[in-house]
Amino acid sequence: VISRTERYLNVAILTVLAAIVLVPSIGFVLAAVSPSSSGAIDLTDIRWDNFVVAWEKGEFGRALVASFSITIMAVVVQTILAVMTGYAFGMLRVTGERILFPLVVLGLMISSEVIVIPLYYTFRDLHLTNSWIGLAILQIGMGVPFGAFWMRAAFRSLPGEIAEAAEVDGAGTWRTLWTVLVPMVMPAIITLSLLSFMWTWNDYFLSLIFISDPDLQPATLALGSFQGKNSLEVNLMAAGSLIVAAPVLLLYVFFQRHFIKGVVAGSLR
Amino acid sequence: MAAPALVIYVLIVIVPLFQSVWYSFWDWNGVPTSTAEWVGFDNYLAFFTEPQLQQAVLHVLVLVFFFALLPIAIGLVSAALLGRARVRGAGFFQWILFMPQVLTMVVLAIVWRRIYAPQGLLNEALRAVGLDALTRSWLGDFDWALPALGFIGTWVGFGLCTVLFMSGVAAIPSEYYEAARLDGAGPVREFWSITLPNLRGQLAVALTLTVTGALRTFDLVWVMTEGGPGSSTVTPALLLFRNAFQNGNVGQAAAIGIVISVICLAIALVITRVVEGRDK
Repeated sequence: VISRTERYLNVAILTVLAAIVLVPSIGFVLAAVSPSSSGAIDLTDIRWDNFVVAWEKGEFGRALVASFSITIMAVVVQTILAVMTGYAFGMLRVTGERILFPLVVLGLMISSEVIVIPLYYTFRDLHLTNSWIGLAILQIGMGVPFGAFWMRAAFRSLPGEIAEAAEVDGAGTWRTLWTVLVPMVMPAIITLSLLSFMWTWNDYFLSLIFISDPDLQPATLALGSFQGKNSLEVNLMAAGSLIVAAPVLLLYVFFQRHFIKGVVAGSLR
Repeated sequence: MAAPALVIYVLIVIVPLFQSVWYSFWDWNGVPTSTAEWVGFDNYLAFFTEPQLQQAVLHVLVLVFFFALLPIAIGLVSAALLGRARVRGAGFFQWILFMPQVLTMVVLAIVWRRIYAPQGLLNEALRAVGLDALTRSWLGDFDWALPALGFIGTWVGFGLCTVLFMSGVAAIPSEYYEAARLDGAGPVREFWSITLPNLRGQLAVALTLTVTGALRTFDLVWVMTEGGPGSSTVTPALLLFRNAFQNGNVGQAAAIGIVISVICLAIALVITRVVEGRDK
């Protein structure tokens, strides 16, 4: 039995915790529309055009095109590969699964720091540095372990008779996969592609190493150099930050549960 | 059907992994035409001789406190205080608490730069309550820059831990608590003997996420302080980047990368081992 005081106490605790997150965040949003370049908030004079100025000064138009191109390539290919590997390891009897699958999952524990150095020299020789495709290839390769792990679990949770029934009907494995099974694991696919979107969009480390041409840099890098040049204009930096954060934040508004579930599972990454 | 993914995985992850191990035994400046010199384990021994590397390792320990221990403690205390009551609007609170997780580190760096600036929020707040003596340029201060960066990690992580532990507590059967109450257990004993042991799984997830996050800290330091002032905020990942791509000391960078990875792997294994061991 929960008393009334206990309930009020709980709401009070949660409110305090939420305020710790919200106060810096809301202050930041308000600074982005304030006239003062010191970052002071002034709501009597709201400047929406801070976004326009930041957009132009930081060349975010070009940077967002870069980010969207890299991210969409990475998400689409990663998801398709994950569905295929998950299906192979989860439902088909792949020869060598006992050895191959643990080998793939081991990749969850290999951090990107350890592999970027040789990759940089290889990619430079192949003219894949300063290339959106190059960056997408990196993200795709590094995303294989989580994708395989995640989609295998999803296919494993389906009753085995479904695939068998479809095959008896005369559909080949390929058609069974895309027409019968994929719709059934859609929630897992949505979570995977949202996470993949977030991880690729938010990346800074790989982009910093592999993209040095300012004309090609994705949004996180553009924001980094924008703040290097305009650190005295806090309101513009805040506006630029909101532009860069907007796509992932928007997805988060609509798909909160997927993000929480996925990040928790992603601790295995 | 797994073949395409396996091929790209081997090329992007497995082959470079072995190359990296190989690089770490050489002294090479990264220029293709220059010759490399075999140095054996020297690049690993540098962890015991290079002052900057030793500093970086110490800094990681400080960051583990701020990124992992503090958020987990806050998360546990709030989950314990919240108890098992279902709060109306819990989903909304979770949404807010989890939000820092989806923001890219560059944005978080800019949010906090505004707070730590000489005329920033933190100093203004200190002046407002008459603590002028405590104001300083937080990120430019040799003693305070690292804790200031660390506190950002606390801010980012405590919500994740709270959300995790709240969901964990909600899954504990209420009979456990009723039984404890019949035995006369107070809230403190209830926490130690029921809540905490039943949060093992969530603790493992929180520890793995936050500790490896601390070990790998790069973006935040790079954007906010570049390791400075002096070398008071250097981290292993920052030294890796500098050695590999600025100072032409590729073998050393590779060795740092291998050490970071091995430690991350060891932590993940130890944590899962401890959690599973207790389960039996």
